[in-house]
Amino acid sequence: MYFKNRYVVKAAGESGQGVNSIGEILAKAIKNNGLYIFGYREYPSLIKGGYASYQIDIADQEIKSSSKECDLLMCLSRVSFQMYLETVRENGSVIHSIYKLTLSPEEQAYVEKNKIHIIYIPAQDLAIELGGKRIMSNTIMLGAIWQVLGLEIIGLEAKIKEIFAKKPDVIDINLKCLQAGYKYDLSGLTRAVLKISEHKNFKDDLLMTGNHSISLGAIAAGVRVFYAYPMTPSSSILSYLASVYHETGMLVKQIEDEISVANMGVGSMFMGARTLIATSGGGFDLMTEAVSLTGITETPLVCILAQRPGPGTGLPTWTSASDLNIAVYSGHGEYTRCVVAAHDIESCYLVTQHAFNIAEKYQIPVIVLTEKQIAESIFQVDHMPKDIPIERGLLSDEELEKAVSADRFKITESGISPRWLPGSCDATFDANSDEHLSDGSLTEDAIPARQMYEKRIRKEESLLKELPEPEIYGSDNPDISFVGWGSVKNSVIDAMNILADYSDKKIAYMHYEYVYPIRTEKFIKYAKTAKKLVLIENNALGQLGSLISSKTGVLFKNRLLKYDGRPFFIEEIISYIQDKE
Amino acid sequence: MTCKSCSSNKTPTMKDFQSNNLFTWCTNCGNYGIHTALRRALVAKKIPACQTLNCFDIGCNGNGSDKIGGYSFHGLHGRVIPMACGATMANSKMTVIAFGGDGGTLGEGVGHLVHAIRGNYNITFVLHNNLNYGLTKGQASPTTLKNMKMNSSPDGVTSELLHPANFVLSLESTFVARSFSGNVKHMAKTFEQALDHRGFSFVEILQSCPSYNKETPHEWYMDRVFDISNLADYDSSNRQQALAIAQDQEEKIAIGVLFQDKKSVPQIEKQPNRKDIVTDAYEETRHYDISKLLSKFR
Repeated sequence: MYFKNRYVVKAAGESGQGVNSIGEILAKAIKNNGLYIFGYREYPSLIKGGYASYQIDIADQEIKSSSKECDLLMCLSRVSFQMYLETVRENGSVIHSIYKLTLSPEEQAYVEKNKIHIIYIPAQDLAIELGGKRIMSNTIMLGAIWQVLGLEIIGLEAKIKEIFAKKPDVIDINLKCLQAGYKYDLSGLTRAVLKISEHKNFKDDLLMTGNHSISLGAIAAGVRVFYAYPMTPSSSILSYLASVYHETGMLVKQIEDEISVANMGVGSMFMGARTLIATSGGGFDLMTEAVSLTGITETPLVCILAQRPGPGTGLPTWTSASDLNIAVYSGHGEYTRCVVAAHDIESCYLVTQHAFNIAEKYQIPVIVLTEKQIAESIFQVDHMPKDIPIERGLLSDEELEKAVSADRFKITESGISPRWLPGSCDATFDANSDEHLSDGSLTEDAIPARQMYEKRIRKEESLLKELPEPEIYGSDNPDISFVGWGSVKNSVIDAMNILADYSDKKIAYMHYEYVYPIRTEKFIKYAKTAKKLVLIENNALGQLGSLISSKTGVLFKNRLLKYDGRPFFIEEIISYIQDKE
Repeated sequence: MTCKSCSSNKTPTMKDFQSNNLFTWCTNCGNYGIHTALRRALVAKKIPACQTLNCFDIGCNGNGSDKIGGYSFHGLHGRVIPMACGATMANSKMTVIAFGGDGGTLGEGVGHLVHAIRGNYNITFVLHNNLNYGLTKGQASPTTLKNMKMNSSPDGVTSELLHPANFVLSLESTFVARSFSGNVKHMAKTFEQALDHRGFSFVEILQSCPSYNKETPHEWYMDRVFDISNLADYDSSNRQQALAIAQDQEEKIAIGVLFQDKKSVPQIEKQPNRKDIVTDAYEETRHYDISKLLSKFR
């Protein structure tokens, strides 16, 4: 165990070998045994083959990030062994089911240098000997992992029974396989020493991904229509909402392309149904024309933009935070928009709800940024946050009775005009993508065109007043002052918690959740007193940094940027803090 | 039809669909006739203006978005169909009509047309087919005749033309009609039938363009169109017959309801999880309790 009370186990194999199922069972069983986990998945953009992993960081307190190195690696395939051997730390262990595994000279050297203990388990033979099928070798490996974790077998047995509840005939054989793995001779392997947390009822804790939380936030906020075209890492919002649509009654539709998704979203929102759309960078590119349309027709729109590395197809199944620029600058013309970046379960849930209030009240597009690291990683929380009250910014029935067509796009100081839904009597209007007068009638005259343009731009100022300043975490008198957004927060906060135990370095982190329009008052003070200001982002250009610099003139000389498709691992942040001064 | 928000029962008049804005179309533009026919059809069907959403694409037709009463949405070039489909999915009680030209619909937005037909969304779609891009001053569109010399193709168009009605009939469309911009009465009747249809109603209007289509002017169509309702043995439930009769666009051009599937079920009624829900999505915005969904995450 490298960090105090943090243990890391990684299950690896080919895509299609069941690595994800092993990880999910393990994560839930560990959680139920009184521990906190964070689950991180790596997988290739193919159906079968390649290498995939499910890494579980285990701790005695809440964690939201992954370690770079693991204490125990469980391998089902040769390719994954080669890929992940060097993620096993000094004195770490490997258990595998690879028949006649021989190590290359480089692998042998790594194993010797780092004193790594490797044990082969003939899991497929064992499963067949026990009367099971080959695939049950995964259950044997699960039992073996459990043995190394040193946890009571009863906790894992319960999970197995639950998972196979619908196939009772395979429960017994799976339990036998589990026992075989649990009892398998692993003498010599370093066992985990897990500190069971004293906290309450772990069984009630929830394990979910950011995409689950976004979906739940949308359901709670009264979203009744969801349109999407599949694109990793946003697709599981579509599959989750579809899986529960009998319970929710939500209209969940897979649409032919992202252009239609966005325009159907505009149509449904225009009629007054809370409608969510979701995509990733490439799909968002196709949507941007419609985003611009919402700017001039003053139609609310909420889009989830789950980021992955580009350009083009990039690294489709990996993580990134490189689409802040398209969220902020996409779409032709100038208009008010809002960009929010979620980072964990609470944030995904609340930001989705808040996005609808902002979109409806200000009649603007709101783009909610997430990353594959947030969208698909597995977080543990003990409850969902309290819902935000729904605000729609619609006229009341009494106000509507007095409304006339020319109120709909009325020039106001705040830039916000009265809004009501089509179908209401008499005060009909034209939501016109051509420049228009206050009832939507087309105009090309300079004065009204400028007035209407300015009205829409003024909404940004009004919105900015409502948006929260960034939050600061950590020391009041820091040696290093980080600034970041998105999943970076989870890694930095976890690193800070670890460092607090054995380092004198004082760290602060400023987190931007509401990214655009951007508030900078707090940042300016923070930057002024910073001994060392460090921009940290999951991209190569420092996109948030550029945005802040353009508004404040403050330049970021120190940058910790990562753009290889992987999230920030806590070791990387810790070594940056400790080594680079 | 009653206004859903005030329950008033007043009969809609032509005036309800009038606007004070001045028309900006060319003299003798086919749009004038289409506009009038549409208003007549809405009044004839007793649809209140406040229960009507007219959705416009970009093009000469779109310049009419503020020339008609009721609610209007003037969207993006080629994208009016998905916008209108989204509108009817959220509010199935309002009458949703969409208008697009041959360029936007069959060029930039042809994929949307195909999928809206597959989905059978409950809208009336009017194709203003004037065989060119008028608003951008006379470039070739997918329906421009081959070899025609246009602004963008001085030596003549080199691609084959696309027959809108045949194309749409080749898909699993549920309502395909054709009319002519020079015959307001026929268009109004056709629009009425389209409004009655439950599903995606495709209405192609053969539209004269006095500025950029000198080849097939008003008179050219006048000499060629014939109403299929005058044919004694025409069966509009027979797609093969429709395909055959729609084929000729040179000599004898059939107008009227070419095909209709009377058993058509619109997309909104095909939702397996909403069979028992009587409200529309736009009426359902409220806080929903998610606690029952959480057990799967434990």
